[in-house]
Amino acid sequence: METHITSEIMVDQLNAELKPSSIVVNDVTVTFDTAKGDYTAIKNISLEVKKGEIVSIIGHSGCGKSTLMATISGMVNPTSGTVLANGNLVKGPGPDRGIVFQNYSLLPWLSVFDNVFQAVDSVMKDISKDHKKDIVMKNLEMVNLLPHKDKKPGQLSGGMKQRVAIARAFSINPSILLLDEPFGALDALTKGTMHVELLKLWNLDNRNKTIVMVTHDIDEAVFLSDKVIVMNNGPAATIKEIVNIPIARPRNKKDITHDPEYINTKEKLTGLLFEKLSIHD
Amino acid sequence: MKSQAYHLLFLNDSWWMKTIRGTFYFAGGCMIIGLLWTIISRNSYDTSMETHLIPSISTTFEKCKIVFDQPFRTSDNEFDSGIFWVIWSSIKRVSIGFLYAMLVGIPIGILMGANKLAGNILNPVVQILRPVSPLVWLILAMYVIRAVPESNMFMIFITCIWPTIINTSFGVASIPEDYKNVSKAFDFSVWKYVTKVVLPFATPHIITGMRLSIGIAWMVIVAGEMLSGANGIGFFAWNSYNSQEIDSIMISIFVIGLVGIMLDKLFDFLHKSFAYESK
Repeated sequence: METHITSEIMVDQLNAELKPSSIVVNDVTVTFDTAKGDYTAIKNISLEVKKGEIVSIIGHSGCGKSTLMATISGMVNPTSGTVLANGNLVKGPGPDRGIVFQNYSLLPWLSVFDNVFQAVDSVMKDISKDHKKDIVMKNLEMVNLLPHKDKKPGQLSGGMKQRVAIARAFSINPSILLLDEPFGALDALTKGTMHVELLKLWNLDNRNKTIVMVTHDIDEAVFLSDKVIVMNNGPAATIKEIVNIPIARPRNKKDITHDPEYINTKEKLTGLLFEKLSIHD
Repeated sequence: MKSQAYHLLFLNDSWWMKTIRGTFYFAGGCMIIGLLWTIISRNSYDTSMETHLIPSISTTFEKCKIVFDQPFRTSDNEFDSGIFWVIWSSIKRVSIGFLYAMLVGIPIGILMGANKLAGNILNPVVQILRPVSPLVWLILAMYVIRAVPESNMFMIFITCIWPTIINTSFGVASIPEDYKNVSKAFDFSVWKYVTKVVLPFATPHIITGMRLSIGIAWMVIVAGEMLSGANGIGFFAWNSYNSQEIDSIMISIFVIGLVGIMLDKLFDFLHKSFAYESK
């Protein structure tokens, strides 16, 4: 397999090694206090994400993917262990980490523009109102939503809502972008477009943003990520394996399907997720 | 098989057909009421008093002409002014009490919904006071304030405050985690959280509280005016009883009903204008 790796990728990987870490998860365990007693969602998880990396977390439903994500975003505090984001201990949500929620979580009573504006307005306190508006317009333009800026979320399609959520997360210029099953509700066609859009946005920012994404779509994970974190089934889920994706960027949706690395990696991930399944079942 | 006429009449959804259908249904309802009224009236002859206890539609209608003659006339004696001013004084009293209840009740409701401790402390108080008939507060107010109109306003204030507090706190307490997470993730200030998340989400609930409040208030004011002798539609009904003008009682029933439905429609309209499409 090593022979497939071109020198370009080796340089990429070497660069990656030298980059500072963006997120450090250190021996994190999360136990929820439920009516039926304690429930441990994730157990002793440690991982490191470098600055500018795109990392996907995959696993079956209920394996604690979203819980792990929530500890990074600060929505959930670890029962034990620590999370560092940009070298700072995570104690709660913060504007250095932009979040795209699983169900978009747009405020339905605000227009597309206002949904983004309110985020910019609270995070960027020291700039003028006009400057804030410019930022909103720029980000809406980036996701091609300028013509829809005065609509309410209820008037938008799923893909458009998703783009608003992404524009909102990008507009506060976070160094870390956290996406929780961002494309889960979209049809295959829209999904493909959104993948390309996301990489475009990442490129526009010189690939400086760290992106962590929860998904259960193997194709998506392989196409977008530098690393894929495969999780064991919960409760008390742990990391099963971290798989590097040695495919050069820029990646092209059409060409990549014939790339042997792509096929190998997909097979490997499928094997990791479905090892119990056999044809005899 | 349903005929073509049936389809045109009942399945055509154009505005015109809806209006025509609505008019027909309304006319049907009126006919039923008219029929029942006539039957009851005709069978209500009291031999000792040598009259019908329930006046007929036509006598009531004749009385209507008198009552609604010069509805805007003013008089030095407020009890002698036109029917419009009689109704107006009730509406005014209800509105003022209602407004004060909103000013006090909505912030208390928000506090109870947003803060668990406040909710836990105040909820039992609200639950105990809520079932008390506002008329008890009226007599207490009359003793303390010693002014009849103001005591009625206070009674309306008490009437309106419970549904307002309960619905507001429910609305605020049921803000979805998603929206709270948004305000956390994007570092919303308390002010922004209240104005951009709490109030917009809770407004439909608050308006429901208002609608319930005004509905109960309109029923209570009638009793309040009867008990306290404050000029208004309730006193009009009470006075009609005292002077044995039963046709005027019938008129007051319809007037109270019509004003009640207008108040209700007003808040229904408000509710619709503040509703948002969720998600």
